[in-house]
Amino acid sequence: MNESMLCTKTHEYVLEQEEKYEIGITDYAIEQLGDIVFVELPEVGSEFIKNEAFATIESVKAASEVYMPISGKVIEINEQIVNSPELLNEEGFEDKWFVKIESSADQIEFADLLDYSDYKEEIA
Amino acid sequence: MTKQTFLHDKHVALGARMVDFAGWDMPVQYSSIIEEHKTVRDSVGLFDVSHMGEMIIQGKDALPFLNKLVPQDITKLADLKAVYCQLTNKNGGIIDDLIIYKLEDNKYLIIANASRIDEDLNWMVRNKIGFDVDIINESHNYSLLAVQGPRACELLKSLGAEDLPPFFSIKRGELFNINLWISRTGYTGEDGVEILVKNEFSEYLWDKLLESGKEFGIKPIGLGARDTLRLEAALHLYGNDLDESITPVEAGLAWSVSKNKTEDYNGKKVILDQIQNGISKKLIGLKMLDKNIARHGYEVYYNNEKIGNVTSGGVSPVRGDNIALAYIKNLDNLTVGSTIQIMVRDKLHNAEIVSKPFVKKNNKG
Repeated sequence: MNESMLCTKTHEYVLEQEEKYEIGITDYAIEQLGDIVFVELPEVGSEFIKNEAFATIESVKAASEVYMPISGKVIEINEQIVNSPELLNEEGFEDKWFVKIESSADQIEFADLLDYSDYKEEIA
Repeated sequence: MTKQTFLHDKHVALGARMVDFAGWDMPVQYSSIIEEHKTVRDSVGLFDVSHMGEMIIQGKDALPFLNKLVPQDITKLADLKAVYCQLTNKNGGIIDDLIIYKLEDNKYLIIANASRIDEDLNWMVRNKIGFDVDIINESHNYSLLAVQGPRACELLKSLGAEDLPPFFSIKRGELFNINLWISRTGYTGEDGVEILVKNEFSEYLWDKLLESGKEFGIKPIGLGARDTLRLEAALHLYGNDLDESITPVEAGLAWSVSKNKTEDYNGKKVILDQIQNGISKKLIGLKMLDKNIARHGYEVYYNNEKIGNVTSGGVSPVRGDNIALAYIKNLDNLTVGSTIQIMVRDKLHNAEIVSKPFVKKNNKG
C-alpha cells in the first residue's frame, strides 16, 4: 500500500501517477475477500462516473462489484489479473491495480475520499 | 444471540475468520478456502461441525415411528448401520435431510442440519400421536468433529482405532482415553469419519487430533471448504438444493427411496407417483464454459426461455473450472452434454450439463 493513495469506504483506492490515475482495491479488501478466482474489467475507452460499478471480482465465497472512486475514461486495464486472478492474493505481487484512467474529476469528487491514514483508522 | 460451539475459542486462537451460519458463529476459513479444500482431497482435514443436531429416538415404537417419517425402509437397518434419509412432509417435500443410525433395538440416533433442528423436532412431535416413543434432543450435549481425507483412516488407526467401522456404520470407540462414537460418514466425498463426543472432551480431542495428525498433514478446515468439497461431490445442501417444496425424486435422490416399502409414510403417494410417472423439474449438474461463476439463485435459460435456477454454484478447486447444481424443467432433449445458459450479471453465459458427482468419490469405505 502506498501512503499517497486515496481510498473509499467501499475499499477502492485511487493513486495519481503523472496526470493518470491508477484504480484498484485495497490490501484489506483483498484479505477480506479471500481466494480471488475471477476478475472482470471494462474495455479500454469505456467511461464511468464516480461511484459507478466498473469491475466485478469474485472470490470463492461471493461476487462483488468494484466502484469508481472518481469519474474517468479507462485507458489501460491490467490483463495480468484477468488471466491470473489468484495473483491478487500473492503477497509479493506488486501489480494489483485494476485500471488506469484519465480523469477530469473536480475537487468535489475527491472531497469524500479518505487519505491513507484515515482509511487505516476506518478499517481498524 | 449467536451460538458458539465448545471449540469456538480454538477457532479464534487459530486465526479463523468467523461468520454466522444458521445462528452459529462458525469458522469459514483458517488460511485459504482453496488450500483447505486441497488439504482434504490430498491428505486429511479436521472440521468442527458441532452445530449439527443430534437426536435420540427411543421406545417401543421407535421403528414404526421412524418408518412413518422417512421414505427409507428403517426395518432393514441393521444394528450400528446408518442410512441417508429425508424427513418428508405430506406432499413429499423435504423438511430436512438426515442420517439415521440404529444404535440398538428401539434406539436410533439422528444427525440433522443445524438450521433445521427446531423444524425437525416440531414435525416429529406432531407425528408422535399414537406412538410410544421418546424424542430426545441431545444437540446441546455433543460436539461433532469430522476427520476427512485420504489419510483420515490412517491417522485414526495410528491412534489405536484399528477397527474402524465400515462405510455408513458407527461404533463406540476410544481415542486418547475418551469414550466416543466413530461414524464412517462425511460430507466431502472423501473417506473419513465423524466423531461424536461429549462437549466437555471436545477441546482436548481437537488439540490432540491436530497434534497427532501433523505427520499426516492435517489442517483445520472451515465451512468455506466444506461447501466447495460437498459441491464437487454433488452432495446437497439443505436450504440451497433442498427445501420443503422439493421432493427426493426431484432432488435426484430417488436412489435413496425404498420403492417396495410397505409402511405408509408422509408424502408416499406423491413420491411413488413421481417415480412411476416422472417429474416436471429435475436437479442437474453443470459446468460453465467460460470463466464466469454460477451462484445460488442465478437463472438458467435454454432457447431464450427461462427453465430454472442455480441452487449451488462455485469454483471446483480440483477440476479448475466452475460448477453448479440447478433445478430445470424436465425437458427430454436436455441431457448430459447439452448446452444451456446461465444469466450472470444480465448476460447469458454458456454452460454444459455434466454428470454428477463432479469429482469422483474416494469414499468406498
